[in-house]
Amino acid sequence: MKIFWSFTRQAFQFIVAYRFDFFMEFVLAVVRMYGIYWVWRILYTQKPGAFGVDLVQMTTYGVMGMALEMFIWSRPQWYMASQVKSGAIDTDLMKPLDFHLYMLARSTGEMLIGAGVLGLPALLVAYIFLGVQFPPDVLAGLLFVLSLVLGFLLLFHLNFLLGSLAIVALDIRHISWAYFSVVRFLGGQIVPLWLFPPFVAIIAEVLPFKGTYYIPISIYIGRLAGADALNALGFQAIWLVALVALSRVLWGMAHRRLVVQGG
Amino acid sequence: MNGFQLYFRLIQISLLSRMQYRANFIASILGLIVWNIVNLGLIGVLVAQFTSLNNWTLWELVFLYCLWILGHSLYSLFFSQARELEGYLIEGAFDQFLLRPASPLIQLLGRELQYIEIADMLIGLTGISLAYTQLGLHWNGWKWAFFLIAILSGAIIELAINLLIACSAFWTGRSRASFIIMSQFYGLVHQYPVDIFGNAFRVIVTGVIPVAFMNYYPALMLLDKLDRAGSGWWLGYMSPVVALLLVGIVSAVWRQALKRYTSSGS
Repeated sequence: MKIFWSFTRQAFQFIVAYRFDFFMEFVLAVVRMYGIYWVWRILYTQKPGAFGVDLVQMTTYGVMGMALEMFIWSRPQWYMASQVKSGAIDTDLMKPLDFHLYMLARSTGEMLIGAGVLGLPALLVAYIFLGVQFPPDVLAGLLFVLSLVLGFLLLFHLNFLLGSLAIVALDIRHISWAYFSVVRFLGGQIVPLWLFPPFVAIIAEVLPFKGTYYIPISIYIGRLAGADALNALGFQAIWLVALVALSRVLWGMAHRRLVVQGG
Repeated sequence: MNGFQLYFRLIQISLLSRMQYRANFIASILGLIVWNIVNLGLIGVLVAQFTSLNNWTLWELVFLYCLWILGHSLYSLFFSQARELEGYLIEGAFDQFLLRPASPLIQLLGRELQYIEIADMLIGLTGISLAYTQLGLHWNGWKWAFFLIAILSGAIIELAINLLIACSAFWTGRSRASFIIMSQFYGLVHQYPVDIFGNAFRVIVTGVIPVAFMNYYPALMLLDKLDRAGSGWWLGYMSPVVALLLVGIVSAVWRQALKRYTSSGS
């Protein structure tokens, strides 16, 4: 726990040093929330209440998709890639701390600060100006928070796996574009899974990506409730266990063939 | 050597150095293609469920998306270095441009050819051709000419806006954050017709940072949708004018910026 706290402090100092950049990130988030809000409003003029979801639920889904990015997004892959590139990763590996755990602690610290400094103000804007509603009841709210934590952990491990790839591929910038867009699409960040055509939906339903945005937000707006919500949480948990195992194995393999560049 | 020859010589050198990393070359092109397909896929899913987006049909949206991409790829292929100016200023590396007997602007822009934009260009051309047949368009010579001018204007508009933002680094020392915000405006205008957003947004992307002239307004003209703009129908023809206007502004700003440039030292 002390480790997490020290990384949180470190991330906070970083943000204070780059205040202006962070303010800009906030503006960025607001523009994106505004954009998706209008997309759904205009679409719903043609089919009000499409698929059993009303307009307010739908705009809430869209805006939350943008706002939650700051609560679940982590970037261990960039850190790993840049450490591999500069060769500084050997100092990380010498630390008396498991590397996977180290990355998790670091990412959690960064996420907590990002969520506090950018996420909460963005949510405030969403509640005040974009008509975002609260979860239907307290239970949904609690399940949502739990699901969001699982979503963060899922996405962290997916990113960590991408970062492990950096050790083999050395440059992951370009693979990342494809990766990001796939996460956004299959994760349901912009368009929820219930709107997907059947052949895409089948794929999206079984892959772990829907545990990042789609499940937490669906619980939030009350689309997934009761047994469905619990099943969805179970889905997230099972995939999390699988991804943790996969991360340990793949990182171990990557670690063995690590080539430190120059020196 | 005149400016153009110098520019292409510099580009040639950078391309040769890039071709050494072939796996990276292929990975980056694939990455870009997946990215665009997913974006178009999202639009496709939405329109499939809701039939249209504010009376823009699927293929009209594809046309809008690809018209933006064509202008953007032209800009990005040749001039993407405009964004990197801040780095040169901070490191003091801009000094070397001033020491050589050639235009600093050409030296900056000639640093690199963003070769992967070829992928964007292919996607744009494919999308436009598909949309052209699916929409049953039959352009006359004048519309084809306007189409080409619109693409060229789009590239110039993006170059001018990005150079203006980059130039702000001469005064403030940094421009990265403004680019991040700008990319969001580009993203929204790129993917969605401007008329779905609120009035404030429309005014911004028309009059303040005129990104809408890269695809929305020329698309209104090319797709015979000018009546959607109401009394602003003439904006559909304005892209080349806006582009020229921006070139005038940016060259004045650039001259001022060079005049007040003081090296960061070191």
